[in-house]
Amino acid sequence: MEPGDAAIADAGPGSTAALGPAGVTESGREADPEAQGAVAAPYSGSRWRLSRAALLTLAVGLLITAALSVAALILYNHNETRLLKLRARELSLVLSTAVPSLQTPLASAAELADATGGSPKKFRAFMTPLVGVGRPFASASLWRAEGLPPAPTVVVGTPPVLASRPTEAKRLFAQARTSGQLVLTGLLPGAVPRLGYAFAAPGAGGGYIAYAENPLPASKRSQLAESTGFGDLNYALFLGRSRRKSDLLVTNMSHFPITGRQASTVVPFGKGAFTLVVTPARSLGGSFFENLPWMIALVGALVSMAAAVLTERIVRRRADAERLAVVLDRVASENRQMYTQQRGIAQTLQHALLPEAFPKLDGLAISASYVPAASGIDVGGDWYDVIPCPDGGALLLIGDVSGHGLRAATTMASLRHAALAYAAEDTDPAAVLSKLSNFVNSSSPDYFATMLCVRVDIEQHSLCIASAGHLPPVLVAEGQARLLEFEPDMAIGVARNWQYRKTEVSVPPHAILIAYTDGLVERRGELLDEGLERLRRAAAAEPPELDRLVADLARRLPAEEHSDDTAVVGIQWRT
Amino acid sequence: MADVSRPADLHVEARNEQPGVAVVTVAGELDVSNAETLESVVAQVCDGQPAELVFDLRNLKFMDSAGIAVLLGGARRVPNVHLRDPTPAVRRVVEVTGLTTVLKLRDAG
Repeated sequence: MEPGDAAIADAGPGSTAALGPAGVTESGREADPEAQGAVAAPYSGSRWRLSRAALLTLAVGLLITAALSVAALILYNHNETRLLKLRARELSLVLSTAVPSLQTPLASAAELADATGGSPKKFRAFMTPLVGVGRPFASASLWRAEGLPPAPTVVVGTPPVLASRPTEAKRLFAQARTSGQLVLTGLLPGAVPRLGYAFAAPGAGGGYIAYAENPLPASKRSQLAESTGFGDLNYALFLGRSRRKSDLLVTNMSHFPITGRQASTVVPFGKGAFTLVVTPARSLGGSFFENLPWMIALVGALVSMAAAVLTERIVRRRADAERLAVVLDRVASENRQMYTQQRGIAQTLQHALLPEAFPKLDGLAISASYVPAASGIDVGGDWYDVIPCPDGGALLLIGDVSGHGLRAATTMASLRHAALAYAAEDTDPAAVLSKLSNFVNSSSPDYFATMLCVRVDIEQHSLCIASAGHLPPVLVAEGQARLLEFEPDMAIGVARNWQYRKTEVSVPPHAILIAYTDGLVERRGELLDEGLERLRRAAAAEPPELDRLVADLARRLPAEEHSDDTAVVGIQWRT
Repeated sequence: MADVSRPADLHVEARNEQPGVAVVTVAGELDVSNAETLESVVAQVCDGQPAELVFDLRNLKFMDSAGIAVLLGGARRVPNVHLRDPTPAVRRVVEVTGLTTVLKLRDAG
């Protein structure tokens, strides 16, 4: 986009929009209540009400915790059951080791009786050390297998209860003779119930039966487990394969039936069997694993709550940040709008000062370009005009008020009107500037202006130049360009009644004169002369075609950041 | 918006060199974005009604017309104003605007 074109375009329809700011401002005000609402209500949500994200975090955390706890519990139960089964098997092995200690003496006694023809003396001698308190048996006796009714032939220790139960004795002995193994009675009633064991030597001709009895512990209670390394178990030992309480031999449990976690195993015992039921007295895997599910639940719940709180904080901070961003965005947009409005007003005023069209003059072409500063709210106080003189010549004026913004633009406006008025009185450039110096000095003391005033004599091919501290114009002619430098005169607005000098210059045919403001040559970090030389070379390099030269200089020469406005005006003799 | 939001680097310092001679040292870049800073300092100095006002410009690299306007403001209130040791760039700007009779250039050299 051509900078000059942009400026012209802005001055046209853009001016209407910019000069009608009341509507824009009003609409801006109307939008305010909404803005106020958003600003005045910084996260008004209840302090203790959690956001959806935090609730979700809490729910997910608690779910995971519950799942982990249940898994730990299941694992614990599974492990406990497995350990209990192992312990039951171990205990049953320990119990079954009792079989040989009972069977071996009875088997030896039976064989001894067979060999000695049932010698009471031999039997008594053999069994006596094994019978009594603290010994394997409470009662031992020798019976004849065929004796009817069955009766003991020899008795060591207390009398056998079986002697008073011939039917049971008969059945027991028959079983002993056919099996060749240790056989068990049922529970033998009495003040203290007893259990009896019988053995018959296999294939023996003599047919003697060795029999022994033992009382059950008082109340069938036993401290067996504690004394054998099974203190972590409660147990109940039943006779046979039943779990009836009537068949209970020994236990350390007090409540029946047995409930809860349990394991049972059948312990073979000679021809018969015991049933062992165990329950854990305490956690078999250790208290850590027992408590683990609850520890997981507790820690998980705490972690979930902490995560929820953290999530809530993040959510609130993000909400605050977003709200702030919205507010900042609105403020920025309002600022942009205000800035655009102000810039629009100043630019409109500026363009109102520039001539819309130049006068049609015989023998003289006129062209101009205006490049506003690239950015910034301020516009410069640059101005130019070409006005026809009564004698057929023209007066070219270009000026630059120090500073920027509306004050500079309004100063330039009054300067322009005054200049046009003075030029109507007298087209002598030195006289115009002298009168202006008084005008500005009195009306606008904080500013000063530079101004170039050129009287153009078209027919005579000559110029009369007066400069109030303005940069020297460039004359392009015959393929060369030169700066029309002369002793600088005082800028306008500094001293009253200043007598300006004027310089006459004659110009070749088709010559071009370029006048400009400082934005075209001024750059930071270099001498003004370097900028002037750059302009001179550029003017010499271009083909001597006025419109193109003016446009090209205005486009190419201002500093990249062009923070200052730039005006370029040129005239060319047609002959 | 470079010229509005980011003012050019400017350092201003005022002191009395001799009784009645106020010296304002201006260093860096003086332009429309920061001229007001210097303006307020100059206004203060002029309130002391010195007989002579010296702007020490040996470290002023750049000055635009807004800067010159501030110096001229000082010249309106104090009859005797000198620019001491201006850099070539600043000197040239003052010369070309024809202000050397009001803002007298003086090399301390």
